[in-house]
Amino acid sequence: MTSNSFAAPAPVARRVRAYFAPVERATKTHAPFDPAQINTFDPDLPPEPWIDLGWIENFVRKSTSKSAPILTGIPASTLEQTRNTIGAHLSFEFLSWTKLTMALATGSQHMNVLASLDGVTPEPAVGVQSGSTSSVIQLATGDAAGFRPGSMIAVDADYSGQTGFVGSPVSGAYLRQALTDTHYIRRITFNVGLVLGVSSGSLILAQPLPGGAPEATAKVQAITGFVDREGGSFYQEWSALFVMEGSQGDRIFFYYPRLQTTSGAEESPVSLDGRHKGGLSRVLLKGQFLALPVADPVDGERVLCYRSFKPAAYSLI
Amino acid sequence: MSLRTRLASVNPERTVLLRGALRPGIVVEEAEAPFSQPPADVFVLRWLGLAADTELSSEMLAMECEISYCTLGSQAFGGLDRGRALTRMDRELLEILEPFTTAKINYSVQQPSPMQTQVFWDEPSFTAATLQRDRLSRTVRIAVYSYEEQNEL
Repeated sequence: MTSNSFAAPAPVARRVRAYFAPVERATKTHAPFDPAQINTFDPDLPPEPWIDLGWIENFVRKSTSKSAPILTGIPASTLEQTRNTIGAHLSFEFLSWTKLTMALATGSQHMNVLASLDGVTPEPAVGVQSGSTSSVIQLATGDAAGFRPGSMIAVDADYSGQTGFVGSPVSGAYLRQALTDTHYIRRITFNVGLVLGVSSGSLILAQPLPGGAPEATAKVQAITGFVDREGGSFYQEWSALFVMEGSQGDRIFFYYPRLQTTSGAEESPVSLDGRHKGGLSRVLLKGQFLALPVADPVDGERVLCYRSFKPAAYSLI
Repeated sequence: MSLRTRLASVNPERTVLLRGALRPGIVVEEAEAPFSQPPADVFVLRWLGLAADTELSSEMLAMECEISYCTLGSQAFGGLDRGRALTRMDRELLEILEPFTTAKINYSVQQPSPMQTQVFWDEPSFTAATLQRDRLSRTVRIAVYSYEEQNEL
């Protein structure tokens, strides 16, 4: 059986889709992406631990690696090159505001605003019961009455004096000294969700909790929003995967095992109607990142990012 | 043909009776007998400009596609629902344009055969709705691209 081939021109793509996965800060373990997955990667159902953050805009990546010549002879000429430094920067804009996109687009710690009846004291946290999953939280009889459809919740353990990176599997903060705030982990946890249904003993969530099924020690607490700040010593660090789908079924993947945010919180207003600049604007979250090195598992070389390409079917290679 | 199949899936009730056959409600103007005025509640597709990029490893053709549609609303509401009917057609068109790509198929042979490349298109550009008497209509323009393949002509 034979078939025809074609000489594919450069890929044509409309947009870039972003996926992020937490880096385990204490053990410095980044999320893996094996290029062998480029054929099977489902953009709508990414494999764990990747979290789909949707389309992004103005995606720009830039290598800042520097090479230097090794000169020899009279007059000197370049014998070889040596790589002096490796560096890579990345910037883009998120099209939505969520816990995760806000956190990624801020250079520092990102926190949940705990709900409060009097504006000062957080509403009490209630214990998670056994049988809970990432999408259905089981509560003791009566505890569910404190929530209603539309409530936002944070699900994590009480703070008990630990220092260092706090939060698992996503580290949300770094503490140099112990605090006295029992709710601190729920203030910084990424394990947040939207309640869609409430029964006498359970909460049904709109999306699974990013951290999976809650642990037995976890508690549920209502939140009302998010807050981040300029300053502090904590840097967000995530693994990232960007996918461009070409018009011919070709795909380009950019995999950054370790990305840290490099700038403070910044927004990009984009006018909804280009002819009416002073009118309504969409406020996009602007993210700027620095790639950090990892050791390639195959040969141990220090690298910052990988670019994988899946050619279109029957295109000449 | 791809849009036709998609329309049959999105709204099976949008049909047109042509030459005694009931078909999904989308027609290519040049492939039908001339009509005195465009049929209502049907998408009418017409090809306009053509450009070619011959610098590429495979020549790329760009064609401008215009899709126009109009409605008089429904008899049940005396035509007063024509705004909603046009909005429904706007929505259906957006749905059948997704995804913005489809397999290129050779229909010039007796058994239509899939080719190696994909036909793809850009975001649609919607014009303002126009009202002529009781007929509400809109036109949408889309740039459609394809690569020329070996042995295509």
